[in-house]
Amino acid sequence: MIKGMFSRPENGKMYWKELMHQCSEIGIGSLGIVVIISLFMGAVSALQTAYQLVSPLVPLTAIAQVVRDTVILEFAPTLVCIVLAGVVGSKIASELGNMRVSEQIDALEIMGINTKAYLIMPKVLACMITIPLLVVLSMVLGIIGGRFAVVLSGIMSYDTFDRGLIEGFLAYNVFFALVKAYTFSYITASIPAYYGYYVQGGALEIGRASTKAVVVSCVAILFADYILAALLLKSPLSQ
Amino acid sequence: MIELKNIQKKFGERTVINDVSANMEAGKCNLIIGASGSGKTVLMKCMVGLYVPDSGEILYHGDDFNKMNDEGKKEIRKEIGMLFQGSALFDSLTVEQNIMFPLNMFTRDTTKAKQKRVNEVLDRVNLNDSNKKFPAELSGGMKKRVGIARAIVLNPKYLFCDEPNSGLDPQTSLVIDRLIKEITDEYKITTIVNTHDMNSVMEVGDHIIYMYEGLKEWEGSNKEIIFSKNERLNEFIFASEFLKDAKDMRMLEQTGKIDNDRNMEDLVK
Repeated sequence: MIKGMFSRPENGKMYWKELMHQCSEIGIGSLGIVVIISLFMGAVSALQTAYQLVSPLVPLTAIAQVVRDTVILEFAPTLVCIVLAGVVGSKIASELGNMRVSEQIDALEIMGINTKAYLIMPKVLACMITIPLLVVLSMVLGIIGGRFAVVLSGIMSYDTFDRGLIEGFLAYNVFFALVKAYTFSYITASIPAYYGYYVQGGALEIGRASTKAVVVSCVAILFADYILAALLLKSPLSQ
Repeated sequence: MIELKNIQKKFGERTVINDVSANMEAGKCNLIIGASGSGKTVLMKCMVGLYVPDSGEILYHGDDFNKMNDEGKKEIRKEIGMLFQGSALFDSLTVEQNIMFPLNMFTRDTTKAKQKRVNEVLDRVNLNDSNKKFPAELSGGMKKRVGIARAIVLNPKYLFCDEPNSGLDPQTSLVIDRLIKEITDEYKITTIVNTHDMNSVMEVGDHIIYMYEGLKEWEGSNKEIIFSKNERLNEFIFASEFLKDAKDMRMLEQTGKIDNDRNMEDLVK
């Protein structure tokens, strides 16, 4: 399927239009859920960290550091991508599945259009453009959520939280999060596209393909998460 | 002209098309008829390249479609228009956008010229005031007409219609049949229609191929089909008593006798 996606476009303008349409559908369409998840994810992680770090020997700024690093390293890229695998993945699989079952893909083929290039490539590219942007947004909103949560519950002041955010910040963590975001966004688009494009049968099979695509994408994201962490994060404790 | 030479297609162990050879006559309405499961849709999908036959040749202008490179296939496909059984209109696009899609993809015409062409074909299929409607807002017959308009918008040489009457009432079916016939004659295109509707056969069929369990069982014109001695074909076309009566009445009119053992007196009454 991947090999078939690469061919000279029949009309570059139409492909560009489709890419922009998909960016809008995937990026703007997922904005609401990403904002909500990120704010609450940051807020809850801040409150739970504060609940656990009760030793007077641990400074309050450590809470901000833990929130920052967990949001950047794990919550923003992985959790958001898993949610998007459900939201965007099921949409891609069902859209392509419906097009296959109702012979719309056949109609495009007969017109002489490379359907893999026209239907799948823009979706994959749109995911790879918009999802990393959503992940960066999620990082920012997660930290903002945590900041508000600790201040509103009287755990610490804004100044203390902001000081903690700056202490021990590693830019590499953001790089690592973006590597994960790009990897997961490819998985989020390509696996559902495969299941949707090759669906056979009727409405029931579209539903099954959509569910299977989401499950496989989530498992693949978790597996890739582990592989990337093992490859790119070297603990000072490891031999 | 499209030539089929010894086409065979299997799905697993099941042979769906078995050694079918035929010529689709240029500028005429060629019908592939047969019962459900007889292989007519698979044969049509082989002809347009959606399925690759296991063996045999599909010749367009003498060149085997399946041996062409991607560019060659694209060129042939630009000469093909197809009306699908379910119309296969793009759900997210309006009628106008559906018809304009092939123009946007394959021509460099101005928006005004494309709009003019869309209106021309919509006018041809008698759908003048549906430009802004979505497929979900159209009736079955209207969808078929939009499908035909989209299929002919690039002036194809070949028009393929898969079960154009499925799901339509007899009156709308007649309208679609006549439209296909008129378009075939007017645009001088080679039309291939899959159907099991005998009204369509009599209305539009210049050249008819009867398929039975993957085999080409009979070939001829709509004038010959009524008098065919092929038992399987007769079982298929005269499945209803009404059609049997019509056949015998016509035979009685033309020859003065009926060559079967039915009671002529009852029939004449």
